[in-house]
Amino acid sequence: MGQILSGYYIYMLSILVVYIALATILHAQFGLTGIANFGLSAIWGFGMYACALLIVKLNIPFVPAVILATILTGVISMGISRIILDLDSQSVLVGTLAFLAIIETLVISEKWLTNGVMGLGPVNYPFDIGTYTKFVYFLIILIFTIVLLFYARKLESSPPGRLFLSIQDNEPLSQSLGKSTFRRKLVFFAFTSALAGFFGAMAAPIYKYLFPKYMGPAITFTLWIALILGARKRIFGGLVGVVATIGLFDVVLETVVPIPSKYAGILYNTKYFLYGLTLILVLMFRPSGILGEKARSINTANTGKIQKMEG
Amino acid sequence: MREKKLHLKNVMKSFGGRKVVDIPELTLGTHGIEGLIGPNGAGKTTLINLITHKLKMDCGQILYYTNGDGIDISKKPIDEIARLGMVRTNQIIQDFQSLTIRDSLLLSLATPMYENFYNIFSERKLRKTVEQEIERYLDYFRFENPDGHALSAGEKKLLDIIRCLVLKPKVLLMDEPTCGLPQDQIELFIALMRKKTAEEGMTMLIVEHDLDLIWGVSENVYFMAEGEILIQGPPDEVRKNETVVTKYMGEGSA
Amino acid sequence: MTFAMFLKSTIIIGLLESAPLMLAAVGFTLIFRLNGFINIGYAENATLGAYLAVTLNAIIGWNFYISIIPAALFSGVLSVLTYLIVFRPAMKRGVGPTEMIILSVGVSFFLRYGISLIWGSRLYNFDIAKTHYFTFYGMGITSTQLICLGFALIIAFGLYAFIYKTKMGETMRALADNEELAMIAGINPIKVSVVVWFLSGLAGGLAGIFTGVFTWVNTGLGWHMILVILLVAIIGRVGDVRGALIAGAGVGIITTAVTLVTQPAYGVVALLVIFIAILKFRKVRA
Repeated sequence: MGQILSGYYIYMLSILVVYIALATILHAQFGLTGIANFGLSAIWGFGMYACALLIVKLNIPFVPAVILATILTGVISMGISRIILDLDSQSVLVGTLAFLAIIETLVISEKWLTNGVMGLGPVNYPFDIGTYTKFVYFLIILIFTIVLLFYARKLESSPPGRLFLSIQDNEPLSQSLGKSTFRRKLVFFAFTSALAGFFGAMAAPIYKYLFPKYMGPAITFTLWIALILGARKRIFGGLVGVVATIGLFDVVLETVVPIPSKYAGILYNTKYFLYGLTLILVLMFRPSGILGEKARSINTANTGKIQKMEG
Repeated sequence: MREKKLHLKNVMKSFGGRKVVDIPELTLGTHGIEGLIGPNGAGKTTLINLITHKLKMDCGQILYYTNGDGIDISKKPIDEIARLGMVRTNQIIQDFQSLTIRDSLLLSLATPMYENFYNIFSERKLRKTVEQEIERYLDYFRFENPDGHALSAGEKKLLDIIRCLVLKPKVLLMDEPTCGLPQDQIELFIALMRKKTAEEGMTMLIVEHDLDLIWGVSENVYFMAEGEILIQGPPDEVRKNETVVTKYMGEGSA
Repeated sequence: MTFAMFLKSTIIIGLLESAPLMLAAVGFTLIFRLNGFINIGYAENATLGAYLAVTLNAIIGWNFYISIIPAALFSGVLSVLTYLIVFRPAMKRGVGPTEMIILSVGVSFFLRYGISLIWGSRLYNFDIAKTHYFTFYGMGITSTQLICLGFALIIAFGLYAFIYKTKMGETMRALADNEELAMIAGINPIKVSVVVWFLSGLAGGLAGIFTGVFTWVNTGLGWHMILVILLVAIIGRVGDVRGALIAGAGVGIITTAVTLVTQPAYGVVALLVIFIAILKFRKVRA
């Protein structure tokens, strides 16, 4: 039992749960509010590296480091969004992609800070209870992810959720009703990105040593493929999509069913080949994703029936 | 007569060298219901777009009066102008495709304190506060499927109007509101407009091609052609004016 | 080195190095001008062109210059295929512009990892006989590379001339500006689009080959270019072929200048920062 709980299996499950959280955040940004963020993995990676730097170079204990990293990520995100968010949708996509490229390039080139491709670390678990350490940490991350999913669910059927939907559907119309759409997008983007930074910081001990490839375009695109596959407009779209892609390839195929190493390269290429194919097929034939779109009904908020007035 | 609401000075807009709006001086809002008429291409919709800053004017100044002071709204963003109490409905149908009818109204009625990203538990309170008002409107206009989405073009137009009405604007600019509405809804609409402008101090400016409606409902009418306001006055006067008769009433509906 | 020397070498080297980039940017812009969306899958035109050429040249043994022709032609065909099989049907289904970009990412992945599955992940180098070596302002260059650069410039300007000076080019621009009107005037949108996508693929393939001549050929070739191609196309006012040429040259010069002074990585960063600045500046002015 101990072996399973502390082995590679738990490592992959933990990463899976982190990706589910990220995909859900991507849903909040793109599926709900319409912000096409192609730099999400860089924001997450920023939180991860920030936390690791605070721990490794400044010897700050784990919990304050996580909190600080989260706040820093939020600040940076607010900066990016202030610059980019009032542009049109395509520019947001390309702008966030450019941001991703900048961050990744800097992380690799600034070796004095980040150790570049040699790896930054070690980031250790904040507690040590023997064989069950990794498992307990996994449970902690799982709980945070569940809280995130709960927040997303409540958000959708609440006034702010409605506001974000209106921004995505028809921002000028929303503005003409007096909504400060730019400011709302800004704050929400900063908040959700800070959350991404939080999960990045929390992921640091799981990886132990951080490498630039953890934040690269491959991760961003995988998340996007997962969200589009799952259902971009559904809260659980991220979850379904991540399970169907990363869950299938990285957990099932590489962990539960071990692949001989000579096929590792082929598996890697096949994986992304299929991702590309999936993306094409989904966008062409079922753009709303596996879970499809949900019809909004009067009971979405489940706050009881509205009484009809007489007279 | 009331206190004026809007004052335009030297407002001009050109597209590709062609002058689309050219207004040296204009005062709006001195009556409860005012009509704006004119042939197609006169610049009526453009004028409304300029006032609400959906379009940037080439030059000029627009002053908006509340509580006696005039504020220059020429550079203010669309949402701020709406919050100041000036709201417009759309000639071309605009809607939120993911929102149901009730959703749309709940959106409109939600004040900023409900809409922060952390207000995920405020739905219940919002509904309790506004549900009566929503039901009143839904009952009054008899939507086919009030729990669902606006179905026909007419319903979407109505929804556009109601979304604006629940904001309790001080100035409501309406761009061809009755176009596409069935006759019974038009009558309900007119009755409601009369009530609101009389009892709640709202001022309305209606752009319309339905001249019967204009003559019947307006207290003051402006005639616009080729970007300029040529004639203004009480409906009886404008109706008989020679320029209006020749330039406009020959074409269009009468 | 003196400032004058710095300036001279920056400009000349920058222009030379950016020749493939200018060509790639022109090909990329053609599609944006016509169909209005950003095609990230374009990167794979370059990669595939390079792979085909290198297969004919280094593996099968053909002469380099002869290998270029079928490779470039096939890139054009591939481009047309992606248009007919994926992009055109998607546009017909009403897929929005943001989703089209994501779709093109899917095409890019599909092609890139398909190439990996077929060719594996090793690097290939072109086998070019009879080259002469020169030193040019402190940079070593072979005669082949010079010829390639020359080719790139000629083709880039050729495409430019085609778009703005020929009847066919005029037809294309008419179609791009207003499809309905053009169809009424008797222009067949599918035929014109096929020609445009073919030329775009051709340009991309050639750009890939010329880039491969300077460095090597591997699966990341197109991908490394695409971000810069994007920047160039957007800076040069996406849709304006003239702009793409100028921006391409500008980008090459700036990158070279920054690289000479600091490290290559900063060149990329500087570029990206300038890019975002231009996006904003343009929006504020508009």
